[in-house]
Amino acid sequence: MLSSVAGGLAYFLPAAQLALDSTGQVIRVPTPSPTDLFTSPLPQSPSASPVTGAFTVLLLGSDDDSKFIGDHVLTQSMILVRIVPSTKQVTMLSIPRDLYVHLSTGGFGKIDGAYSYGGPGAAMATVSQDFDVHIDHYIWVGLLGLIKLIDAIGGIDVVTSHPVLDDYYPADVYGGWPYDYERVAVLGGPQHLDGIHAMQYVRSRHGDLQSDFGRSQRQQQVLMAIRQKANQVSPEDLPALSKAIGGELKTSIGLSQVAALLPLAASFDNPDQIRQIVLLPPYTHGGGPGGSINPDWGLILPLVHTYFP
Amino acid sequence: MISRIFLGAALALLVLICGPVTYLYLGTKTSKVAEAPSKPTAATPRAQALSLPGTLYIAQSGAIYSLAAGRFHQLTPEAGWTMPSLSPDGTSIIAVKQMPFYSDVYVLNRFGTVVRKVTSNAAPPRLKYDPGFNHWSFYPRVSADGKTLWMAYDKPKFGYDVVLSIWAMPFTGTVAQGKLWTNAADYTGGDVQPVPVNGGIIYTKYDYGPNLKLDGRLWFTNRAYSAGKALTSPAEDCRNPSVSPDGTQIAMICTYEKQASYLTIASWNGSTLGPRKTIISNQMVAQPTWAPDGSGIAYLAPGVPAGPFQLWWLPRAAYAPTPTPVPTPTPGGPHNGPLPTPTALPVVVVKPVQVTTNNGFDAVSPLAWRG
Repeated sequence: MLSSVAGGLAYFLPAAQLALDSTGQVIRVPTPSPTDLFTSPLPQSPSASPVTGAFTVLLLGSDDDSKFIGDHVLTQSMILVRIVPSTKQVTMLSIPRDLYVHLSTGGFGKIDGAYSYGGPGAAMATVSQDFDVHIDHYIWVGLLGLIKLIDAIGGIDVVTSHPVLDDYYPADVYGGWPYDYERVAVLGGPQHLDGIHAMQYVRSRHGDLQSDFGRSQRQQQVLMAIRQKANQVSPEDLPALSKAIGGELKTSIGLSQVAALLPLAASFDNPDQIRQIVLLPPYTHGGGPGGSINPDWGLILPLVHTYFP
Repeated sequence: MISRIFLGAALALLVLICGPVTYLYLGTKTSKVAEAPSKPTAATPRAQALSLPGTLYIAQSGAIYSLAAGRFHQLTPEAGWTMPSLSPDGTSIIAVKQMPFYSDVYVLNRFGTVVRKVTSNAAPPRLKYDPGFNHWSFYPRVSADGKTLWMAYDKPKFGYDVVLSIWAMPFTGTVAQGKLWTNAADYTGGDVQPVPVNGGIIYTKYDYGPNLKLDGRLWFTNRAYSAGKALTSPAEDCRNPSVSPDGTQIAMICTYEKQASYLTIASWNGSTLGPRKTIISNQMVAQPTWAPDGSGIAYLAPGVPAGPFQLWWLPRAAYAPTPTPVPTPTPGGPHNGPLPTPTALPVVVVKPVQVTTNNGFDAVSPLAWRG
């Protein structure tokens, strides 16, 4: 009996290792600098979600290739997700990476820089204070991690909205020089995408009139496809999955909570219960400093209060 | 004493064995979701030996395969080959070879040997420093008279705005002799999948709809540099057109702007589409292709939810059922009372047939079918 248990433990050891390494990360919120010029509206500390059991997670996705030093990466993707287990409702709000906001670490800048200045804690605090929303947890995934995750679950099925063509797509994942470019052509229509092509689909923005907004919609689309494919995964797949995404995943969600959430994730099978929000104009408009996007907080905050109470 | 030693050794052996056996047993219980698709020529069970007429050409993992009499044959190596179509006389295969930075159209014989290269889309050596000097050619189709090659080609492009447009070029000529046929909308991906029909071409145009969503629409045009006439609405979000052998119907994939795809057919009178009829709504369908003898429609769809795409076959009876004969009472017989109510025969529901089970066909590559 003991030997069998040992065999089982050995089998799940990589998953346990990843779970211990990646989950339950302590959130450290950096102290703002004394030159803080905070003027964003409604900076009061937001309250926890009033609906029983509802929780909000900030999903963060980053380039983490050799262009960046250590953990000082930009978050190319920031998606605020509110989950209401009792009604099986999910709301996803994509935050434009170029949104010009007050950073929790002090000063103003593009919101994708918050993580690079102060890690996940700074990213959470920035979103929390600017959007006046309570965030329970964060999940961070590196670029390579997403590719490997999708490959580890055998790819995903997506109806790509249109051909995504990019002559200057960064060749920073498997190329030798992270500043190189490559050409990308992900054609339109229903198809099965492996990790690299799914990444190209969600990451390219040069050929999209809506630029980062179009990309945000594609990111939400791929997230839902991953969730759908995850239904096919069995517990025995966990070691292979862990091996694939080791070092590319971090979350503040504790191990016991992850275990509790896994069955919950499988129960969200009605696409009509998943609301997707992208902050297109008039919620935002271009012309901000350094190519950033200016928020219209007067429109954004009521929207956020409605869907992230 | 001997038995104690034997028992101890047996227990020790059991302890040694149980751990690895448990480990290996758990390994066998994985979901297999990440298993690579089998080659069509090696897949077991083999493709069902359906009475599919003629030869079907299909792409997987950069290779083109033929399917005839229930058996697959690999025609090309796994080297970027995709999007097969046929010359009008059916003796040649027109296909795309996609490389990392460009793609070219080739003519192959029916056994997959390269006969000639039609386009040269790689950037010249002196311009290799800029990826933008390369070009893509996709979805090649030859006109019925064999003189014109239609394709989606990424020219003109303007910096980051890379869109595919429909081009026509002499089949025996060069791209330099080609003619831009459609004006693709900027930053949309452009115009793809030209299908020559009587009097023009049907193609898929991607563009922003009134709700600022990117939609696919079928268009018909018979003049160069004219978008022509829209055949479907933005809200239908259609693509992948395929014309029936008699030219009177079109099969297409419509998504209605959702993460779903519906196999839809409509009548075609040469200028407009008739009422839509959705014939498959519960699968993620792609690339419908009519059998040359009109006996049904082949298409690609996952074999299991969210899985790789397999080959499916929908017999004609599923979407064009023959009228059910109704028994008619014969008047004037010995029965003098009111005629009995005719009873309809039970309706037979014809379902699609999954032809392959563990392949992973290229769902953006149209199928080609020779009768």
